[in-house]
Amino acid sequence: MTSLESRLREVGFACRVETRERMAIIVPDTASPNREDRQRMIQLARTEGFTHVCVEIEPRGASLPRD
Amino acid sequence: MTSTAIDSATRHKEDALRAWLRARQSVLVGYSGGVDSTYLAVVAREVLGRDNVLAVLGRSASVPLEQSLQAEAIATEHGVPLQIVDTGEVEDPRYAANPINRCYFCKSVLWEVLVPMSRERGLHIVVDGTNADDLGEYRPGAQAATEVGVESPLALVGLTKAEIRALSRERGLATWSQPSAPCLASRIPYGTEVTRARLAQVERAESSLRALGIEGNLRVRHHDELARIELDAALIDHWLEPANSRRIVEAVRAAGFDRVAIDLRGFRSGSLNVLDGVVAA
Repeated sequence: MTSLESRLREVGFACRVETRERMAIIVPDTASPNREDRQRMIQLARTEGFTHVCVEIEPRGASLPRD
Repeated sequence: MTSTAIDSATRHKEDALRAWLRARQSVLVGYSGGVDSTYLAVVAREVLGRDNVLAVLGRSASVPLEQSLQAEAIATEHGVPLQIVDTGEVEDPRYAANPINRCYFCKSVLWEVLVPMSRERGLHIVVDGTNADDLGEYRPGAQAATEVGVESPLALVGLTKAEIRALSRERGLATWSQPSAPCLASRIPYGTEVTRARLAQVERAESSLRALGIEGNLRVRHHDELARIELDAALIDHWLEPANSRRIVEAVRAAGFDRVAIDLRGFRSGSLNVLDGVVAA
């Protein structure tokens, strides 16, 4: 588990984080993050030294989001 | 500067541009159909007349077909003589290797065609649409232009992007509000080979996303099996709504990517330069 993933879980966002050099790819366990979650993700990712942070949408194998 | 008012400093710069062009008597314009080269080609046609201007559009796998067609239409609409040449930069291994100075090799290939063409046509000089703002950016392609004597009159007279947009709007050029549209290779991280297949994937994905209604700045960055989408930050909320994000995923997967991600900071010009450490974050 990456440090960013641990910190995101600590603030209540269940996800997996993949890293590719200075890019963090956040793979949410369930629905996509809301605006507040996204701001927190950006801040935490910066703190961890990432220049880019993105969130995977509809990752294969994840539970389907509901409208 | 506002989008409608043209201040006197900008007027003076345009006057200087017109004088500069008049002194050259005839020009070949390296033309892309973007904001800058369209404005330059139209002003050159106004100042020098149709017989003394030729806009040349480079066509290749790194330029979206839709963009080339639009460039053709704009030139026709404004009476700018146009020639299209096929450039083969993707076949150049120095370019395909995708080093941080990739643009140098692309532009070298282009100017190798355009400079001799200007001589054959009896046109005195080759010009490009580099503007004053571009001078402060990382642009290895500019070196290729300098080496073969290509001039950048918009930059020489100090015209900035905002000023060119305002002057374009005043002329009724549809390009005035057009987002910047760098070549498709700019979506591929440095060091990852530029191939026709990857370029086509990006082109299909961006075209499909436009068809869904995504407006403004849009880039599909190619990270192997993953497409990282950059769009204007103000639009992220809308496009992350479940029904919309599902449409995005369908469109991008159909273009050949397995995974789709939205960049949380939104569109950033030169984003891959930052990711690859070419420029500071």
